[in-house]
Amino acid sequence: MKKTKAVLFSILIILFFFNLSFPQENLSPPPPTEVRASDTQNDNGHSITITWKLSGDDGAGKKNVVAYEILRSELPTGEFVVRGMVPAGNNTYQDRGAKEKEDKNYFPPHKDFYYKVRAKTLNSYSESEVAGPAQAYGEWFHLGKLPVFVGTLAFTIMVLAFISLARKGKEFYVRPLAGIDAVDDAIGRATEMGRPILYILGLGSAADIATIASFTILNRIAKKTAEHKTKIIVPCNDPIVMSVAQETVKAGYLDAGRPDMYKEENIFYLTSMQFAYVAAVNGIMLREQTATNFYLGKFYAESLILAETGSVAGSIQISGTDEIAQIPFFVAATDFTLIGEELYAASAYLGREPLLLGALKAQDLAKAIVMISLASGAVAASFHLDFFLRLFTVQM
Amino acid sequence: MNFLEKLLALDRRIIFLFIAIAVALPLFFTVKLHIEVTPVVRNLHNALEALPPGSKVLVSLDYDPGSMPELQPMAESFFRYCFMRDLKIIIIGLWPNGPIQANSALEIILNEPDIKKKNPKYGIDYVNLGYTAGNEVVIERMGSDIPVTFPKDYSGNKTEDLLLMKGVKNFNNIDFVYNLSAGYPGTVEWVLFGVDPYKIKLGAGNTAVQAPQIYPYLNSGQLVGLLGGMKGGAEFEIATGKPAKAVKFMFSQSVSHALICFFILIGNFAYFATRKKKGA
Amino acid sequence: MERIGIWIAALLTLGIFSFLYKDNPFYKFCESLFVGISAGYWFVTTFWQVFMPKLADNLVAGRFYYMIGAIFGVLMLLRLFPKIGWLSRWSLALVVGTTAGLYFTRYLVSNGMIQVQNTIIPLYVKGNLSQTIGNLVIVIGTFSGLIYFFFSKEHKGTFGGLAKLGIWFLMLSFGASFGYTVMSRMSLLIGRMDYLLGTWLGLIR
Repeated sequence: MKKTKAVLFSILIILFFFNLSFPQENLSPPPPTEVRASDTQNDNGHSITITWKLSGDDGAGKKNVVAYEILRSELPTGEFVVRGMVPAGNNTYQDRGAKEKEDKNYFPPHKDFYYKVRAKTLNSYSESEVAGPAQAYGEWFHLGKLPVFVGTLAFTIMVLAFISLARKGKEFYVRPLAGIDAVDDAIGRATEMGRPILYILGLGSAADIATIASFTILNRIAKKTAEHKTKIIVPCNDPIVMSVAQETVKAGYLDAGRPDMYKEENIFYLTSMQFAYVAAVNGIMLREQTATNFYLGKFYAESLILAETGSVAGSIQISGTDEIAQIPFFVAATDFTLIGEELYAASAYLGREPLLLGALKAQDLAKAIVMISLASGAVAASFHLDFFLRLFTVQM
Repeated sequence: MNFLEKLLALDRRIIFLFIAIAVALPLFFTVKLHIEVTPVVRNLHNALEALPPGSKVLVSLDYDPGSMPELQPMAESFFRYCFMRDLKIIIIGLWPNGPIQANSALEIILNEPDIKKKNPKYGIDYVNLGYTAGNEVVIERMGSDIPVTFPKDYSGNKTEDLLLMKGVKNFNNIDFVYNLSAGYPGTVEWVLFGVDPYKIKLGAGNTAVQAPQIYPYLNSGQLVGLLGGMKGGAEFEIATGKPAKAVKFMFSQSVSHALICFFILIGNFAYFATRKKKGA
Repeated sequence: MERIGIWIAALLTLGIFSFLYKDNPFYKFCESLFVGISAGYWFVTTFWQVFMPKLADNLVAGRFYYMIGAIFGVLMLLRLFPKIGWLSRWSLALVVGTTAGLYFTRYLVSNGMIQVQNTIIPLYVKGNLSQTIGNLVIVIGTFSGLIYFFFSKEHKGTFGGLAKLGIWFLMLSFGASFGYTVMSRMSLLIGRMDYLLGTWLGLIR
């Protein structure tokens, strides 16, 4: 009996030392380390961001980590529940929830949460130390949008400053625009030929900037047609635009000292449907044999149809729109084109109103700042300097 | 008048006739053209391929029958692709006719044999939430609450009763947004009010008129991919392995383009030749 | 019934196409029909798709604050009456102000800052000639285009030269845009031809 016990004891000792020399393989990967949980910046206060250092076996090694699970608890020793999972190679996760209390996924702000990260292989896992407590809270100011705030503030100050200067009588130079210089000749041509002028305000509403700019130009042209005793036809696509156009033309005739010549029936509403409007305007062009056509405002697919028909009718055509897609057609098919912003500049050039001039000057200054930043930024980027790039980087 | 002067003074109705023949005649023939899938379409296709089955795709149809030849094939091929891949479709429209166009496309696709086998069900695999007025403000509202923005679907059923809409609160619950646009409101508004504020993944199909305006958004990464015009639609059909209407019309498109190039070349030749002669 | 609709649509298409030959009574009839139907269709669409769901349904549900929007809408229509037309300026101010506020920062970010950010690119990329050329084209094109739209200085001397370069870039892009649009128009014609030859006459499948 004593001998049996001794043998058994010896076997146990041998097995113990054998185990020490050849330890059994541990299947778990090294756990993630340096787990940090903190409030997510620049959000509405219902999110916590968790970061960690990748497991030593992430994407390589025998115990290949395939994913990380993020667990959360309200107490450091409480029950942890899985909040999400990210594939291997990722070391950040945003634990987000709803802001409405009645939502089942509600994420309460100003409440302590504890996190740990689990590195998972196909058949095992290991967990990090518990990190926390972390609380979610909203920020009053979104620092990522600082460039937007600075840009908005700067532009607003510039606009107000220039308008103020314009109101005080400061002369602002606006370079001549070819399309506007041709207006007088175009109206003169219509007078000589004894044929009417057609003015199209486009398909925009009375609130569109292009339409508003067009009203200013219409006022000037109406004044000139009154002086020349030439008929002007203004078919409209929108009833509100029609009523504004009627007032604009009436004001032009008044300025020219010819209010008796104003005929309200020459400024009329056709239809709000795009191609129906164009079909009707084409008919007017051919039947009235208009000598001069103005297309100034917001145009869409009908622009080329209008310009082509006017060309067939033998009219001189001056166009202007801020719709980028339509500018090529006007450039190709009309005699003079105000490209994009030139339409707004034309209304400032003709109207000479402080509001318009001030806004135009502020835009020019903003453009100058962009041009300088662009040129400097591109040169700096060639030398891997990203200062200018960071000035324009916005995190939404 | 010599030949070149006669050419310059050519009655435009003759040119119209040539164009009509160049467009109509190829429609009678089936010609297999090699259509290369460009990177902008490939990127869109890859982004869709990365979506697992069951992903929710919001499709906004922002066009009317005037743009049907270009955009309807895109809608049909997209619905076909989604049904084949078990992607769930939520249809809306920022234009009144958009949801009607969607129903026309669905009517054709749901009757295809491959799709019939899949047997997609309304309310589970696809829904049509219809149109709501407000243009870009609709996109803004959807960022907060989609069921409140579209309380009823196209047929008048309550959105909250639709199985597919369970758990869909806002853009956070949408995996991909696909926009077919012919103007305003359209892709530009989706970028301004959807992509940048809410970080949605947006792919778009546009009429060829609008496509050049959208390219800056591609370069900046605000858009994952773009189908530009009927050619873009044809490329998407090739990429998905199901050539259909857009591919069929490419022969007609190619012949008419070739004819236009020919007229441009001889017209310019005649113009400069006669000008030179007059100068001399 | 569907067949009658197809015939009517086809004949109206041909009527509009007849304008390509010359203006004629058939075209005038189709044009007038289109104008009339579109006005009516627009009215019906606006009533059932905008007025009813956005105003009437909300008022019936007890959300009376929607009346504020309705009142502003009515004020807009008062534009048509000269004596009280000035009241419409309040509605217009609300629309213009809201649009400006809604769009300003969006445009500044999406169309301004992000685009400028993506244009601040290196002028020289080591080992990649095509990208270097591409980057140079983008930066120079953007810069010279901006010069063209600078209205505070006359286009003379070096400034004028850069503006001229800008307009060349613009014209090249307009040409590309024109080409794209020609494609679009041809696509629409193909769609109509398919309808006439396929759906109407059944000559093609």
